[in-house]
Amino acid sequence: MNVISDIAAPQVDLELRGIAKNFGDFVALEHVDLSIERGEFVAIMGPSGCGKTTLLRIVAGLESMSSGQLLLRGQDISALPVHKRSTRLVWQNFALFPHLNVRQNIAFGLTLGRHDKAAVKAKVDEIAELVQLGQFLDRRVSQLSGGQKQRVGIARALVTEPEILLLDEPLSALDAHLRIRMQSEMKRLQQRLGLSFLYVTHNQSEAFSMADRVVVMNKGRIEQYGPPEEIYTRPRTHFVAEFVGSNNIFDGKVVDMQDGLIRVQCADAIISAAAGERPPGKGSTVSLVVQADKVRSSPIGMPGENMLGAVLSGREFTGSQVIYYLETASGGEVKMVAQEPFSQTGRAAINMAMQLYWSPADTVVLRPNIVPGVENMPGRHSYVALGT
Amino acid sequence: MVAADVPQSIPTGVPEAAATAGLNSLKAVGIGVPLLYSLTFFAAPLVFLVVLGFWLVEDFQVVPALSLDNYLDIAEHMFAKSNYALAIAQSLWVALTTAFFAVLVCYPMVLAIVYVAPRSRHRLLLMLAVAPFWSSYVLRLFSWQILLANKGIVNSGLAWAGFENLQFKLLYTQIATRIGLIHYLAPILIVVLYVTVANIDRHLIQAARDLGATRWQAFRRVILPMSRTGLLVSTSFAAIVSFGDVLSGALLGGGAGASVLGSVPLFSNMIMSEYASSTNLPRTAALAMILVLVMVLMLAGGAALAERTKVDAG
Repeated sequence: MNVISDIAAPQVDLELRGIAKNFGDFVALEHVDLSIERGEFVAIMGPSGCGKTTLLRIVAGLESMSSGQLLLRGQDISALPVHKRSTRLVWQNFALFPHLNVRQNIAFGLTLGRHDKAAVKAKVDEIAELVQLGQFLDRRVSQLSGGQKQRVGIARALVTEPEILLLDEPLSALDAHLRIRMQSEMKRLQQRLGLSFLYVTHNQSEAFSMADRVVVMNKGRIEQYGPPEEIYTRPRTHFVAEFVGSNNIFDGKVVDMQDGLIRVQCADAIISAAAGERPPGKGSTVSLVVQADKVRSSPIGMPGENMLGAVLSGREFTGSQVIYYLETASGGEVKMVAQEPFSQTGRAAINMAMQLYWSPADTVVLRPNIVPGVENMPGRHSYVALGT
Repeated sequence: MVAADVPQSIPTGVPEAAATAGLNSLKAVGIGVPLLYSLTFFAAPLVFLVVLGFWLVEDFQVVPALSLDNYLDIAEHMFAKSNYALAIAQSLWVALTTAFFAVLVCYPMVLAIVYVAPRSRHRLLLMLAVAPFWSSYVLRLFSWQILLANKGIVNSGLAWAGFENLQFKLLYTQIATRIGLIHYLAPILIVVLYVTVANIDRHLIQAARDLGATRWQAFRRVILPMSRTGLLVSTSFAAIVSFGDVLSGALLGGGAGASVLGSVPLFSNMIMSEYASSTNLPRTAALAMILVLVMVLMLAGGAALAERTKVDAG
């Protein structure tokens, strides 16, 4: 490795250029571009069938791509067969070899070519220590718990010194309690090794708690790519706003614009939002996104910004917070999350009329954007956020 | 509430007991019928055969007795005259090699069906592989006679193609016996092996490939070891069926087909000709008991091997 490139700006470990995949007429992936920096933890998140696992399998070489290019540390690996790639996969169902014990499972990748038995043993011992499997090396795979099994899966991949680790929902087969413990363990491991992780999950809290950057995918396309905070507070598209967190979405038309604020006529009220750098013109259709924990309630009749009358229809106490479900006059649902459940709203009764408000600064504006090539399909809109 | 309605519609006490009784009688039928079947059609004939082996023939009449004369007589002829030991050796040799080659032919076919053919074609390919099973065994053996005869289709075809010097003497050798047996066994072995191989989790093969294994290494290190139990079961099944079979040895092996052990009849063929020609049924029964005993030993051997691999696989 030469010194100059080490000093240069962050190195890219994996670069995906225009990856597309069709299964017959079905488009699984539609021109995906993505780049992952050295040592970065990137989570791909999306509903089932969005193409996230297909993408991972294409990087691993287990699936062919219809078009596109894959670069691993600057080298084009698009045409490289699976067994020659220095990517390693960690499986959702562990995929451990049942006829081999833990040691043999971990050593599998090291014993395929010429190898020195003593060196293999030393390496296996070292990696087993790292993932706390030292005392289980002689066990049969069937004698391990789920968490231990996945540790074997990770050790088996890491011991071959991959250039990137690919993880396909590795914790989804574990129970909730263990999953949370494994999350922090995995994050620590990743930071200690300085290895890039590409982590596929459908679990939002998993993605947000571990990843440096999160990819949100839908219908074979990337909707948004950025740090978890940005995805959470500044969703760029309608889909992300609906998929991530608990957001309220209001559709309406821009009626007015002044002092850096746009005013949007929605079904139940006129809502103000920060206009941003490229404000939408008067009369254009937009969607407004407000996070449920930015919504507050105030006594009825008090003046303020973004006032919205609603009737309480349900309440969910989750321990640290309370989620209120409210219904507006036009029948739309609004969610409000309160950290201090009993202070202002008191013990709000069902069917009680409430007045909600929130700051225009907390309102994200999405302008509908017709998906290229499908203009004629009714109802297929995607919304792109304006300058944030 | 639905739950509250349930006890009302079913009065307590009596129906519950009746339901339990019904379940018990269903259990009794479920266990009783197969038990009765195997007692009638397996245990009883076997016991009859065992008992018959101790009876004697006096003045051309079968006489009930408890005598070891038949077994002593057979023991005397083990290495002389009839030379039963040699026939058992021939049978074992033919059965074991047949089993080996039958599995050697069927296993790659199964691998091709599972890993090469698209999943939607598996059923069709299995049907095709199993199709010969629905034609008569004897008919198949006759067909092989026509194919394998000295002036049969194989040799005539070779001569016609210009290979006059390349002629095989196959019919009435134990090679022909094995060919007939393999053709007979293949459909069953293919089904048994298919179940084994198709049940190997594909993720394991992909995991091996992902870890750097070539296709061959994935086969050697994952598919083959995970097929071991199936391979052992099908091999011992093939060996046992071959050991007991009479028809292939008679029709294709010619009764005393040649093998590396010489022109020696199979033990089963020997029992068959004794049964057809001699008037000493108890002695034939004693011979049959020896055949059964060897079969049981083969089965135990196969089971022991399979059990050992099972323990290995955790």
